[in-house]
Amino acid sequence: MDTCKYTHRLSAYHDGEVRGDERVALETHLRTCPACREELERLRRLSRLVATAGRVDLPDATRARLHRAVDEAASADLGRMAKALLALAASVLLVCGLWLWQANGAERTDSIPVWETVAAQGRSAAGGTREQLAQWILCDLERTNGHDAD
Amino acid sequence: MPAATKEMKNEPRVSHPPEPPLPSDDALVARARGGDASAFHLLVDRHAAGLYAAAASLLGNAADAEDVVQETFAGAYRGLARFEGRSSVKTWLTAILVRRVAMHRRRTRRKEGRVVGLEAAAGLADGKRSATGAVNVRLDVLNAIAALGPEHREVVVLRDLQGLAYDEMAEVLGLPRGTVESRLFRARRRLREQLKDYLDRPGQ
Repeated sequence: MDTCKYTHRLSAYHDGEVRGDERVALETHLRTCPACREELERLRRLSRLVATAGRVDLPDATRARLHRAVDEAASADLGRMAKALLALAASVLLVCGLWLWQANGAERTDSIPVWETVAAQGRSAAGGTREQLAQWILCDLERTNGHDAD
Repeated sequence: MPAATKEMKNEPRVSHPPEPPLPSDDALVARARGGDASAFHLLVDRHAAGLYAAAASLLGNAADAEDVVQETFAGAYRGLARFEGRSSVKTWLTAILVRRVAMHRRRTRRKEGRVVGLEAAAGLADGKRSATGAVNVRLDVLNAIAALGPEHREVVVLRDLQGLAYDEMAEVLGLPRGTVESRLFRARRRLREQLKDYLDRPGQ
């Protein structure tokens, strides 16, 4: 067909993509240009042909396969999430275990009785006698049992 | 008044609650993100046919189309968290499909230009002409689309099969809108030449 200045815009006009003043001008032109009207009609037929005859139906087996693939993807997701939670729980347990071990070690240090320190040093503290050492041991044992010595 | 009508007048009216509206695509995506796999299954039911038709026309091969559509939905499922809702779900899925088609082409380097395995879908069980010799229009249209270059095929499929607007096509293809328009113009010119026998028939 002989082209006119609007020919190249007919495809976009057919798709509803020409707006405003340009659309008004093109529609005015179509009223007076049989060649453009024919071209527009051919475009409509072509789009209709592609949209109907070009559409391939989805086989039922393919649809079922797609749904199975979604289920598999969802299961794989759950598996990954479970592994991540397990790793997190293990990390928390490890940290708690370390903290508790350290805390017990500190208590042990705080509760070392004086007589042990003195005995470990191999001498009596501040000139303390054996009787004094015995008194300390006695006090410590009574403290451990829940009441103070006299 | 007839007796039947009198009885009917005294019967209590049974009102059926209205059907709940179908959830929107965005609502289904939100539910799927929250772990509701059934919501994603609904998305598959809604979009599988359109995506398969697009893939079949883009690749011209039924087996490849199946693979690519499966990869598309698998990719969409894994990428649910990244969907921001700036485009429609259909556009988002189509964009994934187009990328998968491109990856598939690079992977297989299959020769394109004629349809393979789509004869059944076109209505010819054995791929031959019908007994009257009439050409199957569906097969001719599919072959005409397959004969286009990949870039022209994309714009025709996205516009006339998927019904995307030019802005959506530009987003899917990563092209300026003007390029989309000019490619579609040229693609339709070539397609028209291939299918002129059908287009020039009166009343087509």
